[in-house]
Amino acid sequence: MASLRGLSRPVRGLPLSQISRQPYCCSIRCASSSQPSAAELKDLEDSGLRAPPLNEDEKKDFRPWKRQVDRKFGLPSGRYSYHPPKFDRGPLHPVQSPPSSDPTARDYVPGPFNLPRLRQTYLSTVASDIMTLTYLHTPPGTPDKEASQRLREWDGSSPYHKNRPLRAPRGSPVLPLRERDINFTNIPEIKEISIASYVPAALQDMDHLLVARTMLLAITGTTPEITKTKADVAQWRIRSGEKAGVKTTIYGNAAYEFLDRCINIVFPRIKDWKGIKASTGDSSGNLAWGFTPENMRLFPEIEVNASVYPPKMLPGCRVFVKTSATSDRQARLLLQAMGVPFHGQVRD
Amino acid sequence: MGSKLPTTLLRRPTLAGAISSTSPPSTNSPRLSSPIIPINQVRHATFVPRHRRPYQFTQLVQLSDGSTYTVRTTSPQALYKSAKDSRNHILWQPSNSSLKNVEVDEAGKLAAFRERYGRAWDADAAPAAGTPEASEAPEKKDEPAAPVTEEVIDPFDSLTDLISGFATQNEKADMSGLSAKEQAKKEKFSKKKK
Repeated sequence: MASLRGLSRPVRGLPLSQISRQPYCCSIRCASSSQPSAAELKDLEDSGLRAPPLNEDEKKDFRPWKRQVDRKFGLPSGRYSYHPPKFDRGPLHPVQSPPSSDPTARDYVPGPFNLPRLRQTYLSTVASDIMTLTYLHTPPGTPDKEASQRLREWDGSSPYHKNRPLRAPRGSPVLPLRERDINFTNIPEIKEISIASYVPAALQDMDHLLVARTMLLAITGTTPEITKTKADVAQWRIRSGEKAGVKTTIYGNAAYEFLDRCINIVFPRIKDWKGIKASTGDSSGNLAWGFTPENMRLFPEIEVNASVYPPKMLPGCRVFVKTSATSDRQARLLLQAMGVPFHGQVRD
Repeated sequence: MGSKLPTTLLRRPTLAGAISSTSPPSTNSPRLSSPIIPINQVRHATFVPRHRRPYQFTQLVQLSDGSTYTVRTTSPQALYKSAKDSRNHILWQPSNSSLKNVEVDEAGKLAAFRERYGRAWDADAAPAAGTPEASEAPEKKDEPAAPVTEEVIDPFDSLTDLISGFATQNEKADMSGLSAKEQAKKEKFSKKKK
């Protein structure tokens, strides 16, 4: 069937037997000839788009439904096609499921269908710009700076201090990330984008959760998962373990496309918007911002189906952009280069 | 052996237990070979789920400057034309003067108001020199983000303010003791005379 694809449209409509009977005429190619002949180039330049339009007779002859009716025996049904096993039983089992790249596999996802514009910009311009502009020259032979010890040592006043692990820094048990210099192996990029929406109204009316779920499904193209409340707070009338929110994470191309849509379409349409607060960030290269319920209506996917969402049930959401940068200022540099405006005081 | 809990025996029929026991191994072997019911769940197979995802269309997006690109989206529209986007927004195009917020004053009412009361009531009036915002201004220049759209303070404007303010003060001194209506009448009269 693959060879059939190369044929022109009117020929494809004919039954197989007729095609095979046609004389196969093709110019003989000589590799030694210096000048490519016109016939060879014609073969290269031939595309399906240049096919001449069908005339009336050919249109009358093109009746796929007639072919289906005339067929003597039916095509093999789905029962005879290969179905991969439902369960993965380990690498040593004789029945193995195909890899996820196989179109018959259960976990196959088709694509990619396009190269997102923002990713293209990142690959062609942003990445090299960031690397060049943040370059800091150190003369060759300069010894590396020794990183300071951030863990506290024991003073050795007790014999039991021997072989004890070092103590965590004062104030918090968590060591913050250390900023790494940007070089050609370490250019910050978008890793994933998490979108979360907390819907406390869902405790009273579960329909709110459905609206929130549909909203995230529309803007991300993934099925969101439902989150539950963590704490018991009597004033807010929440008990732990109740369904009250949705979240989802998008990676790769989807993440770039979502960010592109935010930057180019949604942000400019927010009224009196000055930019993202520059104090955002968790000090390890992940930036976040929020959308109000009114802002959610500015997304093209929600706008196109605006009447589906009940007026007061649409929730806002929070967007977390996770980058491979190790500090907020590097992450801000990346997002600024992609076109996200920041305003206000910078906090590092 | 008797001290051990029955559950422990079931879960761990290890060799170590057999060795440590004082009884000969021949007596232990029948118990070990007996069918053992696993208490903890053992997963020999993992379910391979099919992805649940909505149908995604390829959409052509046309920005306001006419540039187009394709996106994968759940929206069934084939072509999305945007009226307001980053190509015609002052925040992204700070050098485009046509996007700046220009005040429309065709009837001349705003000008008349300013002639009478000065510019002190303007919403975007520049802050006085002593305020904290003015002292922050040099710091703002450092950050590369957020193209600043604030207008530059025109010294001439402030001068006219000063003069007009002085003028209104003088006029007010004249019109003391008159109602607002009478004041307006008097002002109209004086303008006609001129």
